[in-house]
Amino acid sequence: MAQVSASVLDPENAAGWPAVPFEVLFGLSRQEVEPVQQEVLVRRFEQLRPVVAALDKLATRQGVDRLAGLDDVVPVMFDHRVLKSYPLSLIEKRQFDRLTGWLDRLTSVDLLAVSLGGLASVDDWIERLDAAGMILGHSSGTSGKLSFIPRSQQEWPAWRDAYRQMRVAASGVDTVSETVPSFAPTYRFGHHMSIKQASLYSSYEAAGEAGRHVLYDYPMSSDLMSLAGRLRQAEERGELDKLAIDPGLLAKRAQLIEASRHRDEDLQRWFTKLAQEYQGQKVWIAGVSAEMTRLALRGLESGVRCQFSPDSALLTGGGMKGYAAPDDWQQRIMDFYGVRRISSLYGMSECMGTAPRCTEGYYHFLPYTIPYLLDADFVPLPRTGTQTGRMALFDLLAETYWGGFISSDRVTMYWDDDCPCGWKGPRLGPDIARFSDIEGEDDKITCAGTAQAYNDFMDYISGI
Amino acid sequence: MTVLASRVGVTVFDIPFLIRGRVIEPGGDGVEFGGRVGARFRTPDARAYADQLVLADAGALQDLADTPIDEIIDFLAELGPRLALERNPLMQAAFGLALDAGELTEPILRDVYGQFPALFDRHRLELQVEKTVGKAYLDGWVEQGRAGRSTTRVRAIGTRNMHIIAGNVPMTAAVTVVRSALTKGDCLIKMPSNDPFTATAIVRSMIDVDPDHPVTRHFAVAYWKGGDEAVERQIYRPSRIEKLTAWGGMASMKHIQKYLVPGIELIAMNPKLSISIVGHEALEGPAAMQEAASGVAHMAGHMNQTACSATRVVYVECGTDEEDLERLEEFGQAIHEAFFQLPESESTIPKCPQPDLEEELGAISLEEEFYRVIGDAASAGVVVSRTEEPVDFADRLTNRIVNLVPVADIVRVTGWVSEETQTVGIYPESLRTKLRQDLALHGVQRTLPLGATAFVYTGEDADQTIGLPHDGTEPMRRMVRWVIDQSAAPA
Repeated sequence: MAQVSASVLDPENAAGWPAVPFEVLFGLSRQEVEPVQQEVLVRRFEQLRPVVAALDKLATRQGVDRLAGLDDVVPVMFDHRVLKSYPLSLIEKRQFDRLTGWLDRLTSVDLLAVSLGGLASVDDWIERLDAAGMILGHSSGTSGKLSFIPRSQQEWPAWRDAYRQMRVAASGVDTVSETVPSFAPTYRFGHHMSIKQASLYSSYEAAGEAGRHVLYDYPMSSDLMSLAGRLRQAEERGELDKLAIDPGLLAKRAQLIEASRHRDEDLQRWFTKLAQEYQGQKVWIAGVSAEMTRLALRGLESGVRCQFSPDSALLTGGGMKGYAAPDDWQQRIMDFYGVRRISSLYGMSECMGTAPRCTEGYYHFLPYTIPYLLDADFVPLPRTGTQTGRMALFDLLAETYWGGFISSDRVTMYWDDDCPCGWKGPRLGPDIARFSDIEGEDDKITCAGTAQAYNDFMDYISGI
Repeated sequence: MTVLASRVGVTVFDIPFLIRGRVIEPGGDGVEFGGRVGARFRTPDARAYADQLVLADAGALQDLADTPIDEIIDFLAELGPRLALERNPLMQAAFGLALDAGELTEPILRDVYGQFPALFDRHRLELQVEKTVGKAYLDGWVEQGRAGRSTTRVRAIGTRNMHIIAGNVPMTAAVTVVRSALTKGDCLIKMPSNDPFTATAIVRSMIDVDPDHPVTRHFAVAYWKGGDEAVERQIYRPSRIEKLTAWGGMASMKHIQKYLVPGIELIAMNPKLSISIVGHEALEGPAAMQEAASGVAHMAGHMNQTACSATRVVYVECGTDEEDLERLEEFGQAIHEAFFQLPESESTIPKCPQPDLEEELGAISLEEEFYRVIGDAASAGVVVSRTEEPVDFADRLTNRIVNLVPVADIVRVTGWVSEETQTVGIYPESLRTKLRQDLALHGVQRTLPLGATAFVYTGEDADQTIGLPHDGTEPMRRMVRWVIDQSAAPA
């Protein structure tokens, strides 16, 4: 087995790894995988440093000229904030040339050659760059400022395969080889990475776009997401009209706010209809844990249970976000949706490789993602035993941008290949927290405050 | 105070509760707190003492009401010198714990604790009372009508107060004790975990002066984990607490909000941020640049930028073409150098760089088109914005890192301040007089020349800074109940 395995990972073609069945990849020991990972890592650094300006700058500052061991990459990993280090005013003032200049320093794709005439919105800008070969997506920071992930068409085949592999490993359901309708309470289109990925992937799935059911049949506006904070601030000051914002955008915002007022009811109505229509069929359901739980509890209260085929997939994640779920929420939602298991995964939008959760509740990394655990001084912790620290990932599938990112998550990693589920590969325990949330727990009182504290307070009192 | 070594390598400090002259040490039922940043400490179980921490019978304030304010001032003035760090082991312990738990470095903290006795200086206390509530109003009924004809009188009556104090500036504990004693109130202080002992040390020293003095008998100092309902349900009741002073905004507010009912008056010492505004003059010659740079270093560096009065963002009147931005960067260099010229009692390199801030600086320093980073989080730093926009993390700047923001039309800054903006340092003086009213209308609570922080600026007449408003309000006037007495005929 070991000899067969070693040859599975071709260091010349890491993009081909996600096409290997996950059972084979999870059969590889860390000792077998790490030397090959290291080979690809060294090559990525050598290839990308000359063409990604931000990486070159960081490497120069850190005095890193070549990588020898796996841990050598840590000083030149990007803090996740690097992907949003542009001034927000560029978006407010629609200075897309400067925004493009900023993004160009993060990718090997030549964006300066792209013509930017006639752009009126962030959505337009993203579409223009996509037409030039990018698959530009974003995540949303807690502050509302978007992090842009400079992915390109070059990554798509590997990304697509990794996405498929993760879904199959987590749920046992392959929507590519089998026609499985999917339900997700989200938007049909948009450039938020998760939405964008789902809509790109649907053309590859057996059920196609027609089999993809979403709550909102329109695009999520990246402009609105990006400017949400500014718009709220302006609204509080009664200055919304002074912002020189496209009236169409303000109308969309009003529509969104209106939709959010009756989201729970809309969701229930939408889902109930699908549950009836697809009764007895194998389906794919995905959503945020808190919302999926609320939906299930409301359903159970009114005596409803879905009757999908029991081998259907239910994928949840994202935590409870302050929602006080009952202790037995997992059992309750399995009862409601009529599925045998709840699938889940751990990942971040910066990284294409996502870790599926195993039957024992651990998140296992596949070989194309190198996980790192860092101590408080950002020094890598030993890759042995059980360690708790800050999560950092290197994405070997990133070929046109730098794949090393340091997260703000505190996790516990089990390095030894001894998970009772049978999968090998380093794995995360279920206890995952954001450092910022942990730091907010203590009882310290200070007179030096922040605008955030005020907003928190307003949110708090308006939520009572 | 006893020090226990309960676990290998971990020291646990025992902190007593002080209840109306009594000292209650944590016994077998002691509860342990703290630990991640500061020392661990152990206190008695607040659940067992909750009903004693407050005064259920308002009539029990009679003794204080009958004590003349001059006697109270005498008592505080006697306490003051005993708080001197060099002679008071309790204050030394408080100093040590604050050093462990807080962000301040040893020289700065030593200077802060050195100022405690002066807060209890007799002359200062006299002025503080007279300029706020007025001695006559505290000691008796003050006639409001014409002499001999008055049928209306007013008195300032002490109330039952509770204070959730801030720990980043230890001075808060002393200020709270003074204000409370001078307003003849019953005072319960809930200590913060980032300064768990200063209030205890002061009130414990007060017990040493006289455990039976009416002032001593109206102080209680305790700690419990904010949010402990079993304790808080007993305390936050309108029948037991009339005025609740809460520092720290959301950090303290989230626990008390549900107890705020009519009958409990909230005195919110909301968290604040401060800025500076620098006119174009500072970029027009080496002398002016030096003066303004030194001023910014003082405004930001004081107490290592941990206090609310510390400048975090500096708006500079300046364009954004390359030449303007070069001069702005030059100004940034001058500020960076000026940080290192500050006396160590005022500012030092930080105990340890804030990891979060280090990451933020690391991320934007890769982006020279929009930002220039001078210095670092480990000693002192200046982030020069190259657009008219502060950095995303401007609110979290600490340990002497300022953000310079170019603003072509400096008058616009007045629209960007709010009630959250406490102090604004301005250069030059002509710009201060030009902007002050507009800043005040938008919420600012203090304007002053760049470099003259409140604690060092006394000018020719030091008395003028005593008894000033605090964050735009007059807390001592709010801590008392203003009672009217009317009679059918002149008294």
